[in-house]
Amino acid sequence: MFKMLTRWLLFVFLGSAALAQSVSVQAPSDIAAGNAFALKTTGSGSATFYLLGPSHILKKKIELGGDLQIAGSDVSSAGLYQAVLCASSDCESKEFYVRPGPPARLSFLVHPSRVPVSAPNAINATALVFDQSYNTVLVPSPVEFRFSLAGTAPFSRKQTTTRGIAWLQIGSTAKQGPLQVVAAVGDVSEPRVIRQVASEACGLRMSATSNSRNVRVQTDPIRDCSGNPLPDGTIVSFTKIDQAGRSTVDTPIKKGIATAQFSVVGPGRISIACGVVLGNEISVGGGQ
Amino acid sequence: MGAISLMMWALVWYSQPSVQAASLPRVALNADSIGPRPIEQRTGESVTRDYAQAWRDLSDALSTNRTAPLNDYFTGIAKTRLSQRIVEQRNSGLRTQYVDHGHQVKALFYSPDGGEMQLVDQAQIEVQVFDGQKLIHSTNSVQRYLVLMTPGADRWYVRSLESVPDDAGRD
Repeated sequence: MFKMLTRWLLFVFLGSAALAQSVSVQAPSDIAAGNAFALKTTGSGSATFYLLGPSHILKKKIELGGDLQIAGSDVSSAGLYQAVLCASSDCESKEFYVRPGPPARLSFLVHPSRVPVSAPNAINATALVFDQSYNTVLVPSPVEFRFSLAGTAPFSRKQTTTRGIAWLQIGSTAKQGPLQVVAAVGDVSEPRVIRQVASEACGLRMSATSNSRNVRVQTDPIRDCSGNPLPDGTIVSFTKIDQAGRSTVDTPIKKGIATAQFSVVGPGRISIACGVVLGNEISVGGGQ
Repeated sequence: MGAISLMMWALVWYSQPSVQAASLPRVALNADSIGPRPIEQRTGESVTRDYAQAWRDLSDALSTNRTAPLNDYFTGIAKTRLSQRIVEQRNSGLRTQYVDHGHQVKALFYSPDGGEMQLVDQAQIEVQVFDGQKLIHSTNSVQRYLVLMTPGADRWYVRSLESVPDDAGRD
């Protein structure tokens, strides 16, 4: 009985050792995502082959001892794979990495979508570089950020990706309008548009005309410090203080200017403001 | 925000008995080298918690061959790929068992607008793959992951989770 057990254990041990020596799978040292390649198997007879990947499982019966062709579609995801061969009750496995392919896709995020002109570091642009199958391209890749606005000279900035990401922080330009921002890597490009709008009013001024009791005030064309007209609809506040008390009229800019009309009791003052900007003040009534 | 306080927070957080997810894997976040935007304390806490929940859900999904657990903390390409892996596992009669021994996570990139955060995770995970009842592959090693997380309404989502070689993701 003891002899039989010893023989059986020896058989199992030798059998396992033989499998370990005779069945193996070898992978190439460099495999790019989406590219076909061959795994080398050793041994004889049939086995079950498994390819275990980040997004894909392959399981099939194979004959050992030859090359095993793996289609590019079986390794579209970059990352760690396991090639497993199971013959009878034992399995042998080999781990290998599939690296990302060359840059083929860009994810481009620009913030904000609307920005006042001449605002320092107001625009953030982040580009994520992927290969054809959306694997992050780890090899540093040059990304060009191109900026263009009608009526101004286009300009660009270059950044190299770190772990697939290139980013840029830049100020808005002085002219209002749609600023096109394009991120490009190789032949791939992604456009985005930021609307540059006039900044705060600059040199806000109004003038007044009056009859017996009413005063009509009207602003000069309202522009920011870069000369961009503030958009129609921007609210301008006129405030009158006279013997009747305090009165404020909020009125939108129309065709570049804002107007208001007040009844004035006795001498008074009218002031103007737009956003955080104060304009001039006018004395009215009381014979002035 | 330095790594020390975040790591301390992580330790404290996991020691609280009231926290529901006692089975969450350990995640220690180091944000010393993050840029260009510094990480806020609350953001660091959220990222740490949500990343741990994502790994718990991933482990659950892979072992039960259900894609539903991926709905809460995965999005984008990460969710697509992991869902595909699980469906193909199920169709092949396979399942994957994780024993998660913890994650050393380094936050590397946080975009100025707060819209993306890139992390490198050094994960210690035992992996066993079964075909039916038969164990076909087993490994216990440190695996490096490149992770992209993006914020949602009330949590951070794992948008990309890629296993990378050891030399990837180093500064």
